[in-house]
Amino acid sequence: MDIAQLAMLLMSETLIAANESFDQNPDLTGAHGLPPDILHAQSSLPSAIDAERRLLDAILLSQSRLTRLQKLAILRCVSEIGGNEHFRDLHGQLSDQSSDDSALLDFVAKLTRHAPWVSANDVAPLRTCGVDDEWIVEVVATTALGQMFCTLANGFFPSDVPRAFPSLPNPGDLVGTAGPYLGARTRPAEKSRSYAFLKEEYGFIPNLYIVQGLKPDFVEAETYALERIMRHENVLSRIQKEYILLAVSAANLNTYCVSMGGQIISILGGASLEECDQIVEDHHQSQISPADKALLDETRKLAALSQQLGCCFEAEQLRVSGLTEPQIIEAVVVSSLANFLNTLQAGLGAVPDFPPRRVLSPKDLYPSAGKSRPIPDAAVSEDPDADVVRRVQAGDVEAFEELVRRHSRRVFGTLAGLIGNMDDVRDVTQDVFLKAFEHIGSFQGRSKFSTWLTSIAVNTGRQLLRDRKPLEPLEEEEDEGFRPRQIQSWAKNPEQLFAASQRDELVRMAVLRLPEKYRVVVLLRDIQQLSTEDAASALDLSIPALKARLLRGRLMLRESLAQHFIRTENQES
Amino acid sequence: MLTCADFLAEFGDYLEDAVSSELRAELEEHLRECKTCQVIVDSTRKTIRIVTDSGCFALPADKVEPIVSDVMARIRKKQ
Repeated sequence: MDIAQLAMLLMSETLIAANESFDQNPDLTGAHGLPPDILHAQSSLPSAIDAERRLLDAILLSQSRLTRLQKLAILRCVSEIGGNEHFRDLHGQLSDQSSDDSALLDFVAKLTRHAPWVSANDVAPLRTCGVDDEWIVEVVATTALGQMFCTLANGFFPSDVPRAFPSLPNPGDLVGTAGPYLGARTRPAEKSRSYAFLKEEYGFIPNLYIVQGLKPDFVEAETYALERIMRHENVLSRIQKEYILLAVSAANLNTYCVSMGGQIISILGGASLEECDQIVEDHHQSQISPADKALLDETRKLAALSQQLGCCFEAEQLRVSGLTEPQIIEAVVVSSLANFLNTLQAGLGAVPDFPPRRVLSPKDLYPSAGKSRPIPDAAVSEDPDADVVRRVQAGDVEAFEELVRRHSRRVFGTLAGLIGNMDDVRDVTQDVFLKAFEHIGSFQGRSKFSTWLTSIAVNTGRQLLRDRKPLEPLEEEEDEGFRPRQIQSWAKNPEQLFAASQRDELVRMAVLRLPEKYRVVVLLRDIQQLSTEDAASALDLSIPALKARLLRGRLMLRESLAQHFIRTENQES
Repeated sequence: MLTCADFLAEFGDYLEDAVSSELRAELEEHLRECKTCQVIVDSTRKTIRIVTDSGCFALPADKVEPIVSDVMARIRKKQ
């Protein structure tokens, strides 16, 4: 029985329980487990599907204290908070859960949205409902499984529209109550497969599995998934997968998994502990390869907390860096496993097995000014579109016309520079405005409207590019190795060497031949004239990363245009 | 005295006028001595100027209103 069949089984049983007819809900196929298209996306990686099947079987389908309706309510809650519309649409069709489970769903919502802030104080209200430790383990594992599915959906079917940024608590809201939150601490039986695996893998039984001792079938499934996903060297190397686990855990501010990951990488002969510290802090400054840096750039965006901050995974960036489709698929799968483990740890409060080298906390979301990624939570002081946006949100459809008029040039110019084919640009420009109109209700004003609109245009343009064969990009060198090669002086007034139309065509071709990650930055900064901060926010890049790509793009353009604009003997001296 | 590599490491911020006055003085001291970096600075500034002034991806003014009316027509149709 494959996962689709299992999901069908779960679904049909649930519908019977809910007195609904399966025939009346044909679109719900797979909605309660893994949607079939998520399975299809992983068809080249049967070991991953096998791992997910085992987790699904143990956590969702086996006999448990939680009712199936409660499990479905948890999945729905997680998908609404952590999934994109692709996943949300499926789970959103589930029937409403009774209000008796409000304490349960409050806990699930916090664990999904604000895992680093979860403390023993969040578990206490559950106990007042008369539940025991086994029940709580089931709640946490079901939430973790939901996060895993959300990650797969966010990785395989990224949304064109940035998530509406929620308000993350300030660090001051953190309540420091250490785990573990449950009283039971049971080690797996020595003859069990999970015990043998954990001893072989780590040399000891990590606390994360001891605190789940009341659910040995969960531990069995989790260790099976670890073995199938991490140990099988399908396309990515084991070390690359460990890097992803480490980086996603760091992005989720999960001290436990970061601490564990660093130890494993150093034992496996990957980076040293000091180098792992650097990957956690800022992998761009580490010694890992440029391709691995690109891998971590994107997989960090799949971290549950990054998704809450509005990050969008871009497979195209990985393709540009030379990763193959199977490698990208496996990177998404490993990221989903990282979110699963991180959520388990945050919900159960498993304490590190040894003193961590670096304690991560929500304060790490607010690093020193100037070096941080743009935090969408920062309120935008002045947005010239704010009044009109509010009118549209209040139901004044006609007010949207003014927004289209104000921004059509920017959207058109951004798309024209991205996709090149001018015949399509007008239609795609319209599509971008329609998407913006459809989602304007979720726009909360935490960035300028124009920035939000630009990010929709960029994501839409990139989506279109994925289906096209691009113009041959300029030769791309390693970041560290890039040096200007063309050092002949340019004419004093190079603009005068060509007619305006000829000059525009030279620029157009040079820009379109830039690799996309540099092209889009040049487009927003030098052609659309966005500020550094707005461009970084629209592209979901840190300011240092944006500056680096801008300089690189400008220098590549300089190399490309130099042949036309260098000074010759018969020009001015 | 800065090397060319040092100069290039700060070049992005220098172009954006986002360096401290002390660092600017050091960078410009290097520039006075280094013909290669002078060419790179000059040609990069000209590149930015040419690209910024280019209208190669611009929407012609007479095409704005047709887009506005088409978008609004599609929205009204959906309402």
